[in-house]
Amino acid sequence: MGDEETLREMAIVGNLSNEQAITAYKTAVLARTLDMKIINAQRQGIIGFHVPSQGQEMIQIATAMLADKEDLIFAYYRDLALYLQRGVPLSLIFDQMLGNSNDFQKGRQMPDHFSFKEFNFSTVQSPVGAHLPLTVGAAYSMRYTKKNGIVITTFGDGATSTSDFHAALTMASVYNLNVLFICENNGWAISLPASKQTKAEIYKKGAAYGIPGKRVDGNDLIGSLSGLQEAFDYVRSGKGPYLVEAVTYRIGPHSTSDDPKKYRVDEITDGSEKDPIKRLENLLLKMGVVDSNFVMTTKAQAKESVDKEMEERMNIPPTDPLSIFDDVYEKPTWIQEEERRDLNVSD
Amino acid sequence: MSQINMVQSLNRSLDRLMAADERIIIMGEDVGRDGGVFRVTDNLLNKYGTERVIDTPLNELAIIGMASGMAMYGLKPIAEIQFQDYIFPAFDQIINNIAKVRYRTGGRFDVPLIIRTPYGGGVRGGLYHSQSGEAYFAHTAGLIVVTPSNPYDASGLLVSAYKSKDPVIFLEPKRLYRAAKSEVPDEQFEVEIGKAAKLKEGDDVSIITYGSMVPVVMSAVEKNHVNADVIDLRTILPMDITAILQTAKKTGRVVIVHEAPRTLGVGAEISALIAERAIDSLLAPIIRVTGYDIPFPYSHEEFYIPDEKRIMNAINKVLTY
Repeated sequence: MGDEETLREMAIVGNLSNEQAITAYKTAVLARTLDMKIINAQRQGIIGFHVPSQGQEMIQIATAMLADKEDLIFAYYRDLALYLQRGVPLSLIFDQMLGNSNDFQKGRQMPDHFSFKEFNFSTVQSPVGAHLPLTVGAAYSMRYTKKNGIVITTFGDGATSTSDFHAALTMASVYNLNVLFICENNGWAISLPASKQTKAEIYKKGAAYGIPGKRVDGNDLIGSLSGLQEAFDYVRSGKGPYLVEAVTYRIGPHSTSDDPKKYRVDEITDGSEKDPIKRLENLLLKMGVVDSNFVMTTKAQAKESVDKEMEERMNIPPTDPLSIFDDVYEKPTWIQEEERRDLNVSD
Repeated sequence: MSQINMVQSLNRSLDRLMAADERIIIMGEDVGRDGGVFRVTDNLLNKYGTERVIDTPLNELAIIGMASGMAMYGLKPIAEIQFQDYIFPAFDQIINNIAKVRYRTGGRFDVPLIIRTPYGGGVRGGLYHSQSGEAYFAHTAGLIVVTPSNPYDASGLLVSAYKSKDPVIFLEPKRLYRAAKSEVPDEQFEVEIGKAAKLKEGDDVSIITYGSMVPVVMSAVEKNHVNADVIDLRTILPMDITAILQTAKKTGRVVIVHEAPRTLGVGAEISALIAERAIDSLLAPIIRVTGYDIPFPYSHEEFYIPDEKRIMNAINKVLTY
């Protein structure tokens, strides 16, 4: 996208100030820095596992920018920048990643499976797409109880092959529910390219259910914002669900447990000209919104805060092993009580 | 008090609960205009409207998934799966979401829904309208699994399921829907989850059963004047360990009867619990009388479902051991 075109797009969006663009850039850099830090921590055995979000920052940030506080978000496990842009502090992210005693979820879930209720996020599970039918129920509940806001959900390209996706679209359309489905099509479901995932164009998959769809450039902040705006407006107006396909790219592996060299040649790498963060950075530099000094400082500050935060959170002790029997039920049954007595942690 | 059958009892209980609590939403295939294929939700659509009684598209995964989203966000859905045989497309939602949401969020979310579904044979339903899948669900911590054997328990357990903050799989033995009437109070009452019922006091042998087998067991022991202690579990998860051990220790001879297949069924768990905790009291091996380990047959279903003769054979075996 050329400068002129970009400027035109920005004019169309109209509501993106320099300040917002700078904030978005800072979030993106922070998310990328955090991702790198966690990958290293995983290699050192400090954090068990990680699903990097690198390359997908722009669509995630744009989504958070357009979402209102009362909007309920069902994110998936690859959404670090979405959480950060919505205001989730690094400390809480590290608490979950480390599974320490400050973790809201009491160390019950693998890293990246967040549940930041305070920020109006729902809960993340590993089975791909399994949150999608829940979004429809949540939207039904919000309408029934006359709550403001819409439901927004994110998922990958692989999820659009699951039964859950089609079940969710079926229900969302039949009951005309305010759900904005945002597919972060990063081109890969672990080792399977999107071309083998589906013959259809993902944004058209809603057509069979009477759900409008749109493809947006998920690697570009302006493109993501302008593309999403129409979808947000549509859903907010009560016309029903909408399906966005944000075309983006997974820089790096599916998770810390696989090596993409085995199945692909990287099309975009960290810091290259096609890197979405680099694209935003170049744009901001060219437009004179920021200078190279700002870029350097932003990166240095991100590194400093990520390093400092992780060191601090590592000092928080783990949860009590006996707590593994809590929250199975509202009150433990005799079975959990008995098994708790059986687990003698002092041995 | 009214003399009513299980369908009427469930219907009345649903009606009463819905009248008192606007959060209750009934949803499922044909539950509205048709009142459910077994008529359990009859007339509720007329009374409560399409927002609260939802005729859903034909997708069990969608029904259960949507219901869990509702339950997580303030509603009290009572979802019906038309036959338990059709619940499996939603199995992932039940096992991986519903049963684990409370746990995985550190108790910050819960999924207080009820999934009602008719199960078991005896209606000439063949392979896909007859299965007893309680063991699939009872193997998963986080779920509550109940099954009434009479109109009274059906109503009382439904009220307890409604009050539960945990997800409840409510298994309705379809063969008993209209098989018998019994006295059911006109006002709301509860049958406590996790508590078995002692249907008959006896000293010679203990029979532990539940659901559709309860009337068969009762008929067998009454006709044959067996001095039996009969336990109706009512709740399968968590089952009433106190009642199970009490009766096993009392008689020392235990027969377990269920319609579901034997291998790794609920009877295996009961048997293991007794063996682990009351083996010194046992005077005979524990015997299970169950459905066979075959798919549910269409044309010979009467041979599949345990009958009085098979139950009496087992009773005589442990009595004469």
